[in-house]
Amino acid sequence: MFDLIINPFITILLFLYKILGGNVVLAIVVFTVLVRLATMPLTLKQQRSTKAMQELQPELKRIQEKYKNDREKAAQAQMELYRQYGVNPLAGCLPLLIQFPILIGLYRAIVATLAATPLELLDLSGRLWVPALASEVPLQNKFLWLNLAVPDPLYVLPVLVVVTTWLQQKLLMPASASSGGSEKSDQAAAMSRQMMTIMPLMFGIFSLSFASGLSIYFIASNLIGIAQYALMGKIGWQSVSGRAPAEAEAKGLPRTAEADPVADEVAEDAVQAKPKRGTGKAARAQQKQAQPKKPAPKPNTSSAAPIVKPKRSGIRDTRLERSQSKSKAKS
Amino acid sequence: MSVRETVLNIFPSKYMRPRLRLGVLLLLAVALAACGGVAGGSWAGVSSSQSGETIYVAYDRSVVALNAASGAVLWEYPDSENRDAQFFAVPVADNGSVYVGDYKGRLHAIDAESGARQWIYEPERKTLIGPLSPDPADRVISGVALSPELAFFGLGSRNVVAVSRGDASRVWTFETGHGVWGTPLYLDAETSPRGEPVLLVTSLDHKLYALDPATGDLFWSVNLGGAAPGDMLYDADRQRVYVGTFGAGVAAVDLVEGRVVGRFQTEEWVWSSPALADDQLFIGDLGGNLYAVTIGGDGFSQNWKVTLTQEAIRGTPLVADDLVIVGARDGYIYAVNRASGAEAWKKHVEGKVLTELVSVPAEDENGPVTVVAGTDNRDSLIVALNVATGERDWTYANK
Repeated sequence: MFDLIINPFITILLFLYKILGGNVVLAIVVFTVLVRLATMPLTLKQQRSTKAMQELQPELKRIQEKYKNDREKAAQAQMELYRQYGVNPLAGCLPLLIQFPILIGLYRAIVATLAATPLELLDLSGRLWVPALASEVPLQNKFLWLNLAVPDPLYVLPVLVVVTTWLQQKLLMPASASSGGSEKSDQAAAMSRQMMTIMPLMFGIFSLSFASGLSIYFIASNLIGIAQYALMGKIGWQSVSGRAPAEAEAKGLPRTAEADPVADEVAEDAVQAKPKRGTGKAARAQQKQAQPKKPAPKPNTSSAAPIVKPKRSGIRDTRLERSQSKSKAKS
Repeated sequence: MSVRETVLNIFPSKYMRPRLRLGVLLLLAVALAACGGVAGGSWAGVSSSQSGETIYVAYDRSVVALNAASGAVLWEYPDSENRDAQFFAVPVADNGSVYVGDYKGRLHAIDAESGARQWIYEPERKTLIGPLSPDPADRVISGVALSPELAFFGLGSRNVVAVSRGDASRVWTFETGHGVWGTPLYLDAETSPRGEPVLLVTSLDHKLYALDPATGDLFWSVNLGGAAPGDMLYDADRQRVYVGTFGAGVAAVDLVEGRVVGRFQTEEWVWSSPALADDQLFIGDLGGNLYAVTIGGDGFSQNWKVTLTQEAIRGTPLVADDLVIVGARDGYIYAVNRASGAEAWKKHVEGKVLTELVSVPAEDENGPVTVVAGTDNRDSLIVALNVATGERDWTYANK
């Protein structure tokens, strides 16, 4: 299965190496740019989903506080909230799941074309979609002090991997999640801060063992990612300095649990309006009437932020009313 | 950030304590780093003594000498307390010593009878601060060529090194453009077409170099048209060497003129050298094809070609009487008729066969000849088969 990814990657990497004058680092950087461009639609989708999740955080926190002794009701309320705002909490996973095989394919392509080991080089045969590219095998492995086929002996690249990974996370994180203050006691925020430390360290540990050509890919990918998001205007420079922005208030998002009783009522109604499922039109009509009205979407003051729309709005079932009025008229 | 948020979504705090999550992630990082790093990544180096009575095997942390008739272990090097490097290069036996390189760039000279260390060459490394050095330890993947005074070997990233056999000191280093994975070939003055000793070296930088063995000076070099990771075959009658390449078939290089004088194009890449018998070359390629090619005055002509498997034939074919024997990555050892290419037998062994094949002569005139091959399965690291029937004679397990 991975051959479908590895083989074209090997071919593309060798082709780039050929047309870029035999410069391996440049070929890896250009390859990274191409991969980033190709996965940009997924990245944007992931961003939108993450953004929507973040904007629901205050409501989610209120639900958790309200139903902290009842997990089931809390879960129901959460799911109802997600449904009303059309948010899928797992939507952020799909792009990453797709990017993993890409990362694995790229890793295999780099170590094979650099002749990192005899077995890797042996595995390269039969994978070139363009046989003429065999003249480029193996890639030149020398760059500055580095042998790109083995780990960096001076540990410069692993340090750069850690720094750039951390920087990318920090710049792309919304300030509300990164600031402390009243959220210090919030377990999710604490976990976020720990993850921001652990993830860069994880990648740093990887690069201690992997070929330095792969570390170059990590660094290039992080820097290109930062540049990509900067061009899209999604960089939070304040996050690096740790300043808490006023963006959340400007957008009209509630900062505390008491600030949005409407959403609270929506969630509570969702929990309480879980009637026994009856059969028949009347029962269904009753159930529909019992469902809480959806609140109007909050005004969005930022053109860059996505608008979270409720799935259904403005629909009122009048069949029960009409049948009741008919029966009254008869009587 | 996307990874962080996704992990939070996948492992919500209500299902997993934060510290447990962190611990799992760190363990995952360490495990992936351990599994995915640059490790041995090669097959065993297999060779025999000049008499054929002993088989030498270099694999992972040790070099082992085996009785060729029974597979019994004669000695193991180094002892268990000093196993700090990996060995995958082909050991070379000469005049009571066995020479083999390790994955730290060192060359070991081992007593062929006892397995005791005679000497070890360690490369000098510049250091910056403490143990940090811009010169990482380079791997010795190639075998060793020997002159009366010097031992020559290639390094995995680049360069050829000559070391004194007397005091293990480095004599010279020749810089190549990429790794030297094939065993260099030393021709003394009697054998060399130049009338003076010459050292031939193939490299992954697509070149064949002819060097002065005493000084490392370059006589000439030639572009082979493709990377040459394997050994070369010397044809003394024609004063040529034959070299397998990636993408450019087998090149014939005239040692007098210093240029490519012929080429046999194969379907797939060729890793190792061909075998030569009665003016015929036998070539295995990485697509599982085996060729019989006649050497003529004006080039090569193919006698037959058989596709034995879809997997790579990595090692040099072995010619034994009227059979040609090869090992393949599919875990089979094949024997075909030398004249027609018809399959004589094939035997499945318990691992991929990527090593060179070694022939063990019969103990008496009428006795069977044995072919010894290495696999990637530690439980059957070395197998010995009867050449005539393919039946297993013995198996060596590396625990």
